[in-house]
Amino acid sequence: MQRKGLIRVLLADENPHRAGALSATLRADASLIVITTGPDLPLIDAVRLHMPDIVLVDMSRADRDALDSVRALSGAGLEHPVALFVDEDDEHLMEAAFEAGICSYNVVDTPPRDVKPLLRSAISLYARFQKTQSELRAAQRTISEQQAINQAKRLFMQNEGCGEGEAYRWLRKRAMKTARRIPDIAAEYIRTHSKGTSR
Amino acid sequence: MSHLLRVGLLRLADSAPVVVARNAGLFERHGVSVEIIASPSWANVADGLVWNGLDAALIFPPLAMMTALGRRGKGNGLKPVQTVSFGGNMIVLRGAPLLGNDWSAGPAGQQSFRTWRTRIGRAPRLAVVHAYSTHLLILTRYLSSIGVSVRDDIELTIMPPDRIIDALSAGSIDGFCAGPPWGEEAFLKGLGFIVAGSSSICPEHVEKILVMNDRTHNGMPIDSDAVRAALSEAQAMCMDPSNADDIAHQLAAPVAEGGLALSFDATRAVMPGASSPDAMVFRTGRQKNDALDWMVSDMHNLGWISTDDAITLERLGWFTREMAG
Repeated sequence: MQRKGLIRVLLADENPHRAGALSATLRADASLIVITTGPDLPLIDAVRLHMPDIVLVDMSRADRDALDSVRALSGAGLEHPVALFVDEDDEHLMEAAFEAGICSYNVVDTPPRDVKPLLRSAISLYARFQKTQSELRAAQRTISEQQAINQAKRLFMQNEGCGEGEAYRWLRKRAMKTARRIPDIAAEYIRTHSKGTSR
Repeated sequence: MSHLLRVGLLRLADSAPVVVARNAGLFERHGVSVEIIASPSWANVADGLVWNGLDAALIFPPLAMMTALGRRGKGNGLKPVQTVSFGGNMIVLRGAPLLGNDWSAGPAGQQSFRTWRTRIGRAPRLAVVHAYSTHLLILTRYLSSIGVSVRDDIELTIMPPDRIIDALSAGSIDGFCAGPPWGEEAFLKGLGFIVAGSSSICPEHVEKILVMNDRTHNGMPIDSDAVRAALSEAQAMCMDPSNADDIAHQLAAPVAEGGLALSFDATRAVMPGASSPDAMVFRTGRQKNDALDWMVSDMHNLGWISTDDAITLERLGWFTREMAG
């Protein structure tokens, strides 16, 4: 089934958009057979089914630990266990991979393959996605923090019978006094002053 | 204010002291700036500690020791800073409890297991939260006490604790050993019954410890005494039964609002002082130097570590005053 010299790469990513982009990049290399697997199939079953040489895994997959521990498991049923790829001599590559949220597993007991070029492609693509995601998250956080501040102000105005200006000054004063951010003070105020109503 | 300390933890009720210390501003008061990173799995926590994704973590000793020994890549001199919790783990099996069955050590427990296994109709699939977990050690000890072998009589599977309820509900696992509040939640949801726990297998064992890596100790101005002081205050707050409702509410809040999105009822039922024998304990104060001996001995027996590894751990300060509270 497997053509000689070709490397089977299993790409396990819960984000179909990113998985599609990465598999398109990797498929440009004629020596790779790229197989993608989504969240529906447990990672360990996907490895058993596709018998890859290399597994690239989105680190946010909760079932990564199962693959990680395959040698310790009696019921894993894998003919060739896989192990986390670690390059101790290239600390920068490893840190970049974990920061981008991707890691790689190699099949044990087969001739070692050079996984670094693959990992580098994956890192650069993941980092691009991460940047977009974190920009989106920052924007969402700003909105939800603003909502929390508004809610805390309303609650403070109700509780203290005061105006909006005074409510905001109280939040600001408390933030300065405790060296914390206003949104954190707002969240704390909502939490401690809305018992029994929102819960 | 010193450098930001990135602390990794999982969605577990015994993460309470770190969450409480952050929410109550205790870290800030002691001059430490902390960012809590709720990780999807223990592998992510361990790799984060090795590859500069985390500076510290709330973690169980076996995985921390294996990480310190370099089993996930380069050794990084990971050291314990403070013991945070004791006990709290539960072993749960799927289905309704078998009436009148005795799950205590010896032939009675073995007979109950056989009866339950017949009802399950397959080699039971039992989950633990990581291959190098206290939970696997505890499960192995318990099953061995009722004459059941982890290697031969069950199928062991690994999954993060917050996936266990869904897996039990879907029937993809038949039981588990996990930290709070997941055992209690499985019970409250009627998915399974509790057969044993930390209290009956290894009473008062060390569960979560705060570890910091070398980088933090040597390269950055993190004051571990300040971290200890903030955590000790938070532990005392968590131990006070009059705070139990409030803390359970904090843990039940969404992650984006400073909580861990846990079930309030299940968490409340295992808060310190609750009636469960496996209620959590966040005791502060000095621990004995031999608190981790049983784990190291079991890890050795299971072939995870060698005698030389144990010596390395001792040299790194794992069995000395650093384990003091």
